[in-house]
Order: sequence, then structure tokens, then C-alpha cells
Amino acid sequence: MRFVLRFVPPILTLLCLFMIGLILFERQLAGLTLNVSALQSFKILFISLILEAFPFILLGVIVSSLLQVFVSDRLIQRLTPKNPIGGVLFGSLLGLLFPLCECGMIPVVRRLIRKGMPAYIGLVFILAGPILNPIVYTSTYTAFRSQPEIAYSRMALAFAVTVMIGLLLYRFMRFNPLRHDKPTLGIQNAGHSHSHNHSHVHTHSHEHDHSHEISGTGFRGRFTSVLSHASDEFFEMGKYLIFGALLTAWIQTSISRSTLTGIGDHPWFSHLFMMGFAFILSICSTSDAFVAASFGGTFSSGSLLAFLVFGPMIDLKNTLMLLSTFKTKVVLWLILMCGVFVLIGSYLIEYFYLN
Amino acid sequence: MIHHLIRGIILTGFAFLIVYLVRSDNLTLYIAPRMAGYVKVSALVLYAAAIYQFYAAFQTWMGRTAAVDCGCDHTPSHSLLKNTLIYGLFVFPLALGFLLPDTMMGSSLAAKKGISLSGSQSINRPDETASASSQEGPIDELDRLFPSDIYTESYAKNGKKLYLQDVIKVEEKQFIETLTTIDLYREQYIGKTIELSGFVYREEKMSEQQFVVSRFAMNCCSADSLPYGLMISSPEAIHFDNDTWLQVRGTIMIGTYNGNEIIIVKAQKLEQIAAPDSPYVYPDYDFGL
Repeated sequence: MRFVLRFVPPILTLLCLFMIGLILFERQLAGLTLNVSALQSFKILFISLILEAFPFILLGVIVSSLLQVFVSDRLIQRLTPKNPIGGVLFGSLLGLLFPLCECGMIPVVRRLIRKGMPAYIGLVFILAGPILNPIVYTSTYTAFRSQPEIAYSRMALAFAVTVMIGLLLYRFMRFNPLRHDKPTLGIQNAGHSHSHNHSHVHTHSHEHDHSHEISGTGFRGRFTSVLSHASDEFFEMGKYLIFGALLTAWIQTSISRSTLTGIGDHPWFSHLFMMGFAFILSICSTSDAFVAASFGGTFSSGSLLAFLVFGPMIDLKNTLMLLSTFKTKVVLWLILMCGVFVLIGSYLIEYFYLN
Repeated sequence: MIHHLIRGIILTGFAFLIVYLVRSDNLTLYIAPRMAGYVKVSALVLYAAAIYQFYAAFQTWMGRTAAVDCGCDHTPSHSLLKNTLIYGLFVFPLALGFLLPDTMMGSSLAAKKGISLSGSQSINRPDETASASSQEGPIDELDRLFPSDIYTESYAKNGKKLYLQDVIKVEEKQFIETLTTIDLYREQYIGKTIELSGFVYREEKMSEQQFVVSRFAMNCCSADSLPYGLMISSPEAIHFDNDTWLQVRGTIMIGTYNGNEIIIVKAQKLEQIAAPDSPYVYPDYDFGL
């Protein structure tokens, strides 16, 4: 997996450069089988996925930077519950207070974990936040006017799945899930929460030594440091976002939906199929209900439910963004747990409640 | 320093891409109007971040470090190849955005996304007997024609309104809602005249006299948009290529396609029109309120 992560983005970038070349020399290569209308479709989807995510990702990195600069680690540690049940409930219901989209959530959660919030709470928030919030509830309710039970069961299933995953993470995750991070960092930083006027040297095990100098106290200093964090984090998250958007747009322009629905028609596969479909579509949780509604005639309510719960938790775009922040092992376990629980849960709800 | 400069240029590039799309009125080809405000604000933020990057580059050039402590590691990689590739990834959408002309979604994407010929599928047809008994007081003729339960009430109301019109005009504002209503109560509308506009789309299974007049419905962005439309039947069908924009006036009939019962509009008048400035339609969130 690490191998894939390391080599796939560069290879794809090479392909991109090649495609830029093709675009620049379009006239000369007109004879080459470069399908113009497919390229146009690709461009529309690619650019729109990026533009749509920008406001959320910017909001995410700004909130993350504000947290870093203005909120002390101690405050975060005091506010998060110590009790695992409380922690899991806190994480899964945090979305009610901060209805952020999944793109914006990852930088914020990473910051919170670095500042001492228990990692399992952060992961639960990442999974639950995009579903358990008022905006998503309203849009699901609007899209399924004639079946409000879809909106109810979407909330219920998301809550049940995240609580189970949260408890499992609390019980079994015994290491820091963050990538490129020293486990003691959160504690190290706890000491100097308020006075940002001393300089010190961090030694990073895998990088060269470099000294951080505080550029100044007061509003101006803090303002520049917010901007500095925000733009650095924007680039860190952005490369995964763009890569994810690229893959998503490419898949959507090259595989047609009728081919897919042909595969997914079998009742036993329909749940699994809709989850896979949600994965490659990678659309925002506030608008996926309308897409699900368009499948109403072809697929059972239970498989639509699987689509609506699994998609916001795990999709192609956010898997890449998760991989930028969390260790590969953690991300794979999350995908597996979400997949299994949503699959079982959507069958149970379909059997006992829907229909 | 070079990193700050490159990052500054990329951030400016994205900010300008958004400004460029807004100035050329093409932002709505990618993003729904309700999202456009947020995207415009993010252009400002990107621009502020770009200015910071230039400032940091200047500071480094002057020999001062602008780095701040954050307990995390943002140091860019030292491999030249890796850096080129990563920045290339950011430049790619910029290049696409500026170099390729902005186009609207048309029949080639409609083929990939799969068209809906009967409005929104999530609405179940109401049970006719159940609703008749639930009504209080005298039931007039219209209520009998448009039975409803609590979920389809707004469609029944809209249906009665449309029923009383001489010509049913499918407006942009409630495009999906109108198509859904008409499909829901299609038997009542047989023989009525309908008017709509959209682009021409064809599938292989359609006959030579058939095509679909369709509009893309968008929620947030192009990735979640889906084409909705009505089947048109006309002897002149072959004269119109895919993606031609048409204003159609015709009579509502019922036919079958792919084994499903659908509405077919028998065209009386087909008029080629220019593609509208706002080619997409959006769900009406106030419908039925």
C-alpha cells in the first residue's frame, strides 16, 4: 500500500503532463484518437469537483490553523470526555454542532488529535460528521419526500455504525494513527500553550533538523501564522483532493451507469454494488440523496440506504485524503469496518423496517 | 524560497481561475448557483494565501525565516522530481481550466450518466382507493383524478394546476417537479399539449423517429447532476443532431420504452433555438411548501 501511495501519484502526474502536452499540441495530434467530447466531459467533472471542494477544504484548513494558533492544547484535552462511551457519543454527535463536509473535516481532526484529543474520537467524528448533521438530514428528507423512513434510517444506521467502530477503535487501537508524527508530540506541545514568544528546536526523526522561529506575538504575528498554516495545509490536502477528483472524473467519464446497473441488478449484490458506486462517485453528502433518489425505480430501499451511509463515510476522494493524514493500516481497517457494518446494517434495516 | 514562489503562483492561479469563470459567466457550468457564493469567497481566501506566500518568499530572500512553530512538519520534500510531479498535479487542473474552452454537459455525458424519462423515481404512485376515503367532505372531479397520500400531496396540487392550463409549459424553475407530476398522473394528461426546451439526446434502442429532449439537473456541482427529459416522437427527428437545442410543442401520449411505460410527446412543432445562458435546471427546494 505504501508502495502504491508512493508511486501512483507521480505516475499519474506524468500522465497529466502528457495530457497537457496533448492539449497544447491538439492541432498537430488531431489524428490521434483523443476523444474531444470525452475530454470535455472529463474537464467539466474534474474542475467542478475541485471547485466544489475548495470552500470546504479552505474552511477546514482555516479552522485547523485557528485552533492551532488560538486554542490551547490543555483546553482541548479538558473539553474531550475521558470515558470511552462519552467519547464515542461526543465524536458521533459533534457533527450537529459543526456541519462540515468531509473534505473540510480531515485537517481539523488531525489538528485536534495532535492537540491531544483521543484519536478514536477524531476518527468517529470523521465518519459520523458528514451524515449526522442537520443539513444532510434535511436534504435527504427533501429528496425522499415519499419515503421519510429513508432519512430516519440513514441517521440511525450511521449512528449505530460509528458507535460500534468507535468502541472497537477505543478497545483495539493502541498506537498513534497519524502518519509522520511522533507519538509524544501532543504532550510536548502541551507545555507552551499561551506564550508564543520563545523559540525552540524540534528534531524530526525522518527529516533534517530545522528550527522554528516564532514570527511575532500580537495580532499580526498570529494572523500571519494562521495564513502560513492554512496555505501549507492546503497544499498537503490539495494534492490528494486533486488526485481523487482526477480519478473520480476519469471513472465517471469512462464507465457508463447503464453498464454498472447491469452488474448490480442481482438482489444479493445490489447493496454491495451501491456501496461501490458511492465509493467511485465521491459526491458530497449534502447532495448524494438526490442522486440516490434517481435510482429509486431500479434499486431496493435497503441498497439506497447502503449508498447513503457508506458513501459519505468512505469514498475515493476522501480515502486519498485520509491516507494523507492517517497510517495506511488504520485507513484499511476503517474501510473494512465501515463496509461490513453498513452492509449488515442495511440488510437488517431493510428486512425489519423498510418495505 | 522557490517553494513559496511556486505555491504563491499556484494559489493565484486558482484564484484567477475562479475570477475568470465568474467574469465569463461560466461558473454555473460547474457549480450550482447556491454554491457559487462560497466558491467566490474561496477565491478571496486563495488570493490572501497567495499574497502570504509571496511575502514569505520575500522574507526568505531578505534572509529572515518566516517559519512558525506548529508542532508539525510541512517541510517540502527535497527530491526535485517529486516536487515537479506534485506541483504538476496542481498545474494540471489550472491548465485544463484556462486552455480548454468551457462547454456545457451534453449528450455524451448524458449517455454515461443514464437519462431519466419519468421524473424523479423516488415518488411512489399513490394508492387510489386509500386516498379517496381519507378525503373529508364532498370530493370534486379534480380530486378524483389526482389522488394523493400525505407524501404526494404537493404533486397532486401541482398536477391540478397543470391540468387546468391550456398548454402545459415545463418551466426551468420546476423542471424536475413538473416532469415528475406529469409522469405520476400521466393518464390524466393524455391528449394535452405540452411545451418544453432542451438538448437532443439519443440512445441506440430508440427508433429513427425518436429522440429525447433533456436538461441536466444539478444539485451542487456537475458531478452530481443527472439528465431528465421526455421522449419526443416526430417524423422529422433525423434532421436534428445530438446536442441541438430545441423548443418542442406536442401532444402527450403514453408508450413504452425498454419495457417501461413512459410519456411520449408527439411533436407538433420543433423549433431550433440557441442554447440558453443557464443550460441546467435545479431542484426547487420550495416546491410544495
